[in-house]
Amino acid sequence: MNGQGLIKGLGITLKHFFQKEITEQYPDVMPELATRFRGCLQFEFEKCIACGICVNSCPNNVLSFETEKSENSKKKKLLSYTIDFQYCMFCNLCVEGCPKDCLHFDHDFELSTFSRDDIKRVYLRPAEMDEEKEADAAPVQDEQESKEQKQIDAMLKALQKNPQKILAKMLEQEEDIGILSELMQSNEKTAGKIAELLVKDKEKAAKVAAGFVTKEKKNRLQAEKGGEE
Amino acid sequence: MMQSDIYNVNVGPIHPSTHGGLHAEAVMDGEIIQDVIVHLGYVHRSVEKIAESKTYQQFVPYTARLDYLATNLPVLGYCQAVEKLLGIEVPERAEYIRIIMAELSRIASHQIAISATGIDLGATTGLMYGMRDRERIMNIFEMTGGQRLLSSYIRIGGVGADIPDEFIPAVQSFVNDIPKMMDEYNGLMTGNEIWEARMKGVGILSKEDAVKYGVTGPNLRASGIAYDIRKAEPYGIYDRFDFDIPARSGGDSLDRWNIRIEELGESGRIIQQALDNLPEGEVKAKIPKVLKAEAGTEVYHRIESAKGELGYYIVSDGGNKPYRLHVRAPSFINLMVLPLVCRGGVFQDLITNIATLDPILGESDR
Amino acid sequence: MEHLFTNLATALTGWMITLGLSPVWADVILLLVKWIIIITIITLNIIILIWLERKVSAFFQERLGPNRLGPFGIFQTIADAIKLLTKEDIVPSAADKLIFKTAPMFFIVVAVMLYTVIPMGQGMEVINLNIGLLFFISMGSLSTIALLMAGWGSDNKWSLMGAVRSVAQMISYEIPLAFSLLGVVMISGSLNLQDIVAAQDNIWFVILQPIAFLTYFIAATAELNRGPFDMPEAEQELTGGAYTEYTGMRWALFFLAEYTNLVAVSALMATVFLGGWQGPWLPSWLWIIIKTYGVILVFFWVKWTFPRIRMDHLMSFSWKVLVPVSLGNILLTGAGIYFCQWMGWC
Repeated sequence: MNGQGLIKGLGITLKHFFQKEITEQYPDVMPELATRFRGCLQFEFEKCIACGICVNSCPNNVLSFETEKSENSKKKKLLSYTIDFQYCMFCNLCVEGCPKDCLHFDHDFELSTFSRDDIKRVYLRPAEMDEEKEADAAPVQDEQESKEQKQIDAMLKALQKNPQKILAKMLEQEEDIGILSELMQSNEKTAGKIAELLVKDKEKAAKVAAGFVTKEKKNRLQAEKGGEE
Repeated sequence: MMQSDIYNVNVGPIHPSTHGGLHAEAVMDGEIIQDVIVHLGYVHRSVEKIAESKTYQQFVPYTARLDYLATNLPVLGYCQAVEKLLGIEVPERAEYIRIIMAELSRIASHQIAISATGIDLGATTGLMYGMRDRERIMNIFEMTGGQRLLSSYIRIGGVGADIPDEFIPAVQSFVNDIPKMMDEYNGLMTGNEIWEARMKGVGILSKEDAVKYGVTGPNLRASGIAYDIRKAEPYGIYDRFDFDIPARSGGDSLDRWNIRIEELGESGRIIQQALDNLPEGEVKAKIPKVLKAEAGTEVYHRIESAKGELGYYIVSDGGNKPYRLHVRAPSFINLMVLPLVCRGGVFQDLITNIATLDPILGESDR
Repeated sequence: MEHLFTNLATALTGWMITLGLSPVWADVILLLVKWIIIITIITLNIIILIWLERKVSAFFQERLGPNRLGPFGIFQTIADAIKLLTKEDIVPSAADKLIFKTAPMFFIVVAVMLYTVIPMGQGMEVINLNIGLLFFISMGSLSTIALLMAGWGSDNKWSLMGAVRSVAQMISYEIPLAFSLLGVVMISGSLNLQDIVAAQDNIWFVILQPIAFLTYFIAATAELNRGPFDMPEAEQELTGGAYTEYTGMRWALFFLAEYTNLVAVSALMATVFLGGWQGPWLPSWLWIIIKTYGVILVFFWVKWTFPRIRMDHLMSFSWKVLVPVSLGNILLTGAGIYFCQWMGWC
C-alpha cells in the first residue's frame, strides 16, 4: 500500500523498457513454423485412388471429386479433384483419413486472394497420367485398328464387285438395292462409309443405307418435277 | 440522495470491452447502474443443430469454436463424452498428453482473461505482457496440432498424432517460467493501488447467489466454494494428480482476478506431474471409421473448463450422427449474474465485472 | 549560441526600423513572427511527440512500435496526418452543428495560448507578463469548456458522459494545481515566470517544494486527461468519450491540442520546479527543451504503467487528499519563510 505497488509497477515497465523487443518482423523475416503447421491444403493426383474417405470425413464439404468408370478395369478413374478452400477450417481430418497420403498441408499461410473464384482450386487429371496408360495400351489398339481397316478394305472390294448380294441383307426392295448400288458406283465415299459401318455395326449400316436411298429418291423426284416444269 | 432521469446506455454489441458480441444494456441513474439487461445471440451459430447433421468425428472441430480461447478444453469434453457413449478406451499416453494440452489451454484462457482485464481497466501494458506469454502456448499448440488458435489436436479415442520431439522441452521451459509470469502480473497489476481500488468490493457475488444462479468455475471459487469438477468428479486421469483448488471468500472482482492468477500456478503443477509421468505407447485407440451408438443411449459428460462446468449431453438414435446434442456452457450461466453484481455500482464497475466474470461469447451464444 | 534567437530577434527589429517602420509596428510584426514560429514548432514538435509516445510505449511493452516509414518509422505520424486530413468529415445529423464544429478549434487555440508566457530560454518568451503564472492557470482551465462543447454538441451519450466527467475532473484538479504553485510563488515572490526561473539560481524549487512538485505532477496529469486519469476519453469504457463522434481532422485537432497541452504543462513544470532554462554548458533554450522532454517521458512512463482510476475515487482523491495536502504545503511554506526571516537567512 501507500504507493509501493505503484512504484513496483513502474519498476517492472522500466525493466522491460531496456529489454530486447520480441516483435516478429513478419513480411521481412518469415516466421519459423512448426513442422506440422497447417497452411494450404495440397493434393497429389497420382496417389489418389478416389476412395472418398476425405470427402466423407470433411465436416464442411470442402472436398469433392469427379470419377469415370473405366472400361478395362473395375477401378474408378479420377477426372478432377476440387478443394473449395474458403470453407476449410484446417481440422486435418481429411489428411488423417486419407489411406494413400495424397493430401497434406504445406507451410504457405499467405492464402488471401483478390477474387473469390481464386480460392477454389480444381485439380484436373494431369496429361502424363493418361499418356502413360495410352503408351501401355497403344500397340493393342493399333493392332485392332489395322485389323478393322483390312476388313473394311475387303468389304469395300466386295461391295464394288457384287453390290446386290450384300445389300440384299439390309434392304428389302429390289428398287432400293438398285438405287444404292448405282449411288455407290458413282460416289466412292458412300461406298467407303457403308463398308466401314458394315464391319463395325450392321444395324446402323442398314439405317444409314435406308437413309441414303430415301434421300436419293427425293432427289430424283425433285429432278423429275423440275423436268416437267 | 439526488435522483436524476433514468437513461439507458448500450454497452455493445460493438464496444471495445465486451469480449466479443456481448450487448449489455445498462440502465443508469447518473453514473450509478440501476440494472443491466444482457442481450445475447450476436454470435449464435446454431452449433447444437449443426451437430445433428455431422458425424461424431466431423463435429470435433466445431467444438473448438465454442471456447476458442481455451481451444482444447471443449474438444476434450466432447471427445470424452463420445468415448463414454461408445465405450472407447483411450491409451494411457494419450490421456497424459490430453491433460497437458487441457491445462495449457486453461492457462491460455486465464492469460487472456488477465490480459483483457488489464486493457479493460486501462493497463495496456498488462495486456501486452499477458499476450506475450500466451504466445508461447500458441507455439506449443502449433507444434502438436499444426494450428495456433484452433489447434484441432484431440480426437475421439486419443489425440491426432504423437507429440514431436521439441514438445517436452518447450512445455518444460514454459512451466518453469510460470511463477515468473505470475510475479509480473501481480507486480504490474494486482499490487497496484489503483487496481486494488477499482476491484476490491466491486461486483460482489455472494456464496448463496452463486449457488442459486448455478455459477461455476473460478467465479464460484472466488465466492468461497472450492468446487472443481477435476476434484469433485475426476474425469480422464485427473485423480492421479496432486493439485489444490484455490478458493477465496469475498466474491468480488479482486478475488475472481486472484483466483485466475493462482490457477496458473496450479495448472503448472499438473503439467509438471504429467510431464514427469508421461508413459510410452499408442496415442490413439483403434476405432471404427464409422462410429455408431446404440439407439436410445444418452450420455452427459462434464469437465472443468477454464470458465466453469462445461457439459455435453448427447442422445443417440442409432445412427452415425447424434440425435440431439446439448452444450451446458458455463459462460452463459455465469453471464446471468452480471445484472446482479453490477446493480448499485458505477458505470466503470460494469466493465470491471464483465472482464472478471470472463465470459466467452462463442460458448454462451453457441 | 546562447543568444542565438534573442540576437536574431533584435537584428530583425533593427532591420525593420531601417526600412522605415515605426518601432511600434516593428514590435507588432516581431510578435507575429514569434507566433508563427511557435505554431510551426508546436506542429513539428507534436509530430515527433506522437511518434515518441508510440515508440516509448512500444518499448515498455517489448514491441518495436512504428518502424515502416523512414528511419525508425519517424514519418509515420506525417502519414497519419495526411490520412486524417483526407478523411471524410462526418457531422452527426443530430449534432448541434455550430458547437460541434467550433469545439476542436477552441481547444487548440486555448492550448496554443499557453505558450505565450513560457520562457523558452533567457529572455525568450512571446510576452513577458507580470502575471504569467496566473495567465497560464486561467488559460489552462478554459480547455474544460472545449471538452464540454464537444460532448454537448455531439448529442451522444458517450460524449456527454465523457464531457461531464472531464468537467468534474478538471474543475476539481484545478484547485490543487493552483495551490501547489502557490508555494513557489510565495518563495519567489513573483508571478512572472522569468522571475521564478531567476529565483532558482541557487537551488531548484523541486528540492524546496517536493510536496508541491508531486501535487502538481498528479494534478497536471489529471488536467491533461492523460492516463491514469484519462476519464474523458476512456476508450475501454466510453468508447472515446467526448471525441466519440469526431472524425478526420476535427478529431486530429483534439489529439493535437492534447499534446500541445502536454508540452505546455511539462514546460511549465520544468520552469517552475526544475530551474527552467538554467543549466551549465549548454545554451538556455536547449536546457528547457531537455527538461521538458524529460518530464514528458515521465508522463509517458506513468501512463503506460498504470490502470485507469475510477471516477469517484478520482474525485475523492482530489478533494480528500490533494487539496488538504496542497493547503498544508502552503502553511508549511509560510511557516518556513517566517522561520527563515526570523533566523535572518533571507
